[in-house]
Amino acid sequence: MNKLRLASFGMRGFIGESLPPELVIDFASAFARSLAGGRVLLGRDTRDSSTMIHAAVTAGLLSAGCEVLDCGICPTPMLQYAVKRYDAAGALSVSGGHTAMGWNAVTLIGPDGAFLEPVSGEAVLDSFHARDFIKRNWQQMGAVVPITDLATAYFADMLARVQLDAIRAAEFTVLIDPVGGAGCPHLTPFAEQLNVRLIPINGQPSGYLAREPEPRPRSARQMASIIPFTGGDAGFVLSSDMGRMSIVTETGEPSSEEYTFPLIANHVLARQSGPIVTNVCTTRTLDDVARMHHAPLLKTRVGQAYVVSRLRDEQAVLGGEGSGSMVYPAFSHAFDGFMMMALILEAMAVGNCTLSTLLRALPRYAIVKRSVSCNSRDGYRAMETLKDADDFATEARIDVTDGLRMDWEDAWLHVRTSQTQQLVRVIAEADTAARAEQRAEEAVRIIQQAL
Amino acid sequence: MKHSLKIGVSGVRGVVGQSFTPQVATSFAQALGTFVGGGVIMVGRDTRPTGAMIEQAVLAGLLSVGCKPVLLGTVPTPSLLYSVYRERARGGIMITASHNGSEWNALKFVDRRGLFLSPVHAEELFDIYHQKDFPLASEADLRRPQSRAQAVTPHFERVAGYVDQAAIRAARLRVVVDCCNGVGALHTRPFLEEYFHCSVVTLFDTPSGCFEREPEPLPENLAALGHCVRETGAAVGFAQDPDGDRLAVVDESGQPVGEEITVALAVHAVLTHHGKGPIAANLSAGMSIQRVAEKTGCELIRTRTGEVYVTEAMLRANAVAGGEHTGGIIIPAIHPCRDSYAGMAVILERLALTGATIRQLCNEIPRFALLKDKVPIRPEDAAHALRNLRRAYADSPMQFMDGLFIDFGDRWLHVRRSNTEPVLRLIAESATPAESARLIADARQALGLTTA
Repeated sequence: MNKLRLASFGMRGFIGESLPPELVIDFASAFARSLAGGRVLLGRDTRDSSTMIHAAVTAGLLSAGCEVLDCGICPTPMLQYAVKRYDAAGALSVSGGHTAMGWNAVTLIGPDGAFLEPVSGEAVLDSFHARDFIKRNWQQMGAVVPITDLATAYFADMLARVQLDAIRAAEFTVLIDPVGGAGCPHLTPFAEQLNVRLIPINGQPSGYLAREPEPRPRSARQMASIIPFTGGDAGFVLSSDMGRMSIVTETGEPSSEEYTFPLIANHVLARQSGPIVTNVCTTRTLDDVARMHHAPLLKTRVGQAYVVSRLRDEQAVLGGEGSGSMVYPAFSHAFDGFMMMALILEAMAVGNCTLSTLLRALPRYAIVKRSVSCNSRDGYRAMETLKDADDFATEARIDVTDGLRMDWEDAWLHVRTSQTQQLVRVIAEADTAARAEQRAEEAVRIIQQAL
Repeated sequence: MKHSLKIGVSGVRGVVGQSFTPQVATSFAQALGTFVGGGVIMVGRDTRPTGAMIEQAVLAGLLSVGCKPVLLGTVPTPSLLYSVYRERARGGIMITASHNGSEWNALKFVDRRGLFLSPVHAEELFDIYHQKDFPLASEADLRRPQSRAQAVTPHFERVAGYVDQAAIRAARLRVVVDCCNGVGALHTRPFLEEYFHCSVVTLFDTPSGCFEREPEPLPENLAALGHCVRETGAAVGFAQDPDGDRLAVVDESGQPVGEEITVALAVHAVLTHHGKGPIAANLSAGMSIQRVAEKTGCELIRTRTGEVYVTEAMLRANAVAGGEHTGGIIIPAIHPCRDSYAGMAVILERLALTGATIRQLCNEIPRFALLKDKVPIRPEDAAHALRNLRRAYADSPMQFMDGLFIDFGDRWLHVRRSNTEPVLRLIAESATPAESARLIADARQALGLTTA
């Protein structure tokens, strides 16, 4: 059974198992209560289950008297951008995002367009658990207002933050794979404004996921195999909510999603100084990039909610994660695939160089990702064992901001229980592949013994 | 006053903002989807402001158990029922509290024949609902919903095909319709204009679900319609209820003929112009329809109150027409359900073919003084009150098919529990209004309830 996961900024579950419509209505009703039945934006991705959840959410919001501005199929970052523009009390996004077919999630967005702050989110959870909702009568019932003109303002505002003329003059050819998700309807307008020749892959909205939706080198195989023959200057592989992205170079090399953020940070920090924010398990490349630009690097728990929250508190110039995501607060408080693409194309245009050249400028480490099957109860015990393991842990610097992070001179290791599967995830990074491999292997062995 | 959810043979009904929540609606939709075993489910709604919210909840529930919902939008109840039958859907859900006030809404469940669930099936559905163990569909098994525009067309064509369309068109009838700000506000004018070339005046024709008159088409609620009929010199006035299943007629002088005479008029029209056969009506439908049966030499089958009981009896007996005393006209050759559009068509046809006026046609039907009353009662007190009544009338011939029906030969009294509200309904009929009023007053006293 794939269990329901609740967080202060949303709920995630598995269709047919842990995400029945009644719970979704409860959750939407609880959110509506925290907004006192105000104006809410609503959007979804293209998965078939998103239609079902969208209907359940709509019912919950209307019953609490909310005015529902329905953006229909809408990338999550576009929805997040729209919250302030439409002066909404919040927004609610229905999207499976990077998770595999069968998973889906409801994400709550606050009045500033960021994922809901923990304080507000806890109030939502309290009313969800107590089933304490606003129930409006027929005279106070909410209404649905369809929103169709969102993209124009979104792109205009976004592209005012980049050197559009330079990008347009470069006349790039770009491959974009939005996995048949919420980004599909917006690729052509985006490309037209950037004067980019667009080659879409999986560009038709589809309830069926043509590939693994997590942007990773293995999801980029299809693109990598054709990009050299198309004369493409860049390839972008996205999640179905447009929140995460990995890169394929013009030579057909799929780059690890870990380098998406460092690549953009290297470009943005060159012209804008200030702190940047990331999570505790992002590549050391980012530490190096920050150091090169004398930018303070702040680390948080894993997840958009934490990164953006810290970014706002510290008035950082940029935030992002090794999962292939970046938030540019000059524009919005969202992990935004379109903004990422625009900034990378800007870096290429302004620097007059290829994507592989830009990537080569980044210091590289070897990353190894492993997983150990383990139910959620045993995850904590496994980590405790690892933390106390003789030899292994003694020389390491330990950080428990999120899961367990261990740092050595030449390597680091991060262990965390998965949010979606019965797994403990192990990430190791080191100067050499052999060293990373060794650290990961040791950790996996110790965890397996503990279980 | 707090109203609890009412789950019964007429579906599930409640006040939105109190007991009727989207969670309840979604669970019932899941229960129906489970009960019919997936497949296409048609969904329609009336104009109530809560309908859109409930529709979304129903949509989510149906999708979650692997059904394919087809949304017909705002349509009359008979159009939904006919669509389920015609398109061979597995079932349907109509979102309407029919004649109840705007604050109410309800789900009515439809089987694959396009009929409301029989009491036995409704109970099975409620069992599934209460167990709440719905087999949820996996992502790969989810179906995509559809929306259907112009969902009333097949129904209207069916109605128009039943009657002598050319004769009605040739008669160029002037008609006033009181749509009660319900589904008729969207559909009745085009129905009468396009199919029958009537000259149409509409009243309460904003599809807002805010009822500017009491939603039941009772004579006392039809003053505006009567006035308008007189003003415009129309041949007939029609009053619909919010979901378009019930009909009441106002004659050319602006006088409401009463719902039971409306039904008798339509049944008489069917028997005269479409061939004789058995007819059916509920116990409360009165003596007029009985006289129509006697006059035409047709058998009359009496049933309990409730559309399902009448339609089931009609299907068993192969009846050609029938109805309920509340203005529910049923013509099985069109579709075995209460249908104000079928009622309007056969009455217009009769006007056209006979050249008579509504008053003249009504005069052919013996009239009695039918009086209706209701007494609020807590459900737990109803049985006791009915027992009191039974004792008081122990010497008279009685029927227990539905509450208590006391037949005095030339007059009768019917007291039964409402299927939709926490009230006892009292209906009496006799030769004179004074006599009927006395029957009701006696009955109220015998019930042991002191309220006046």
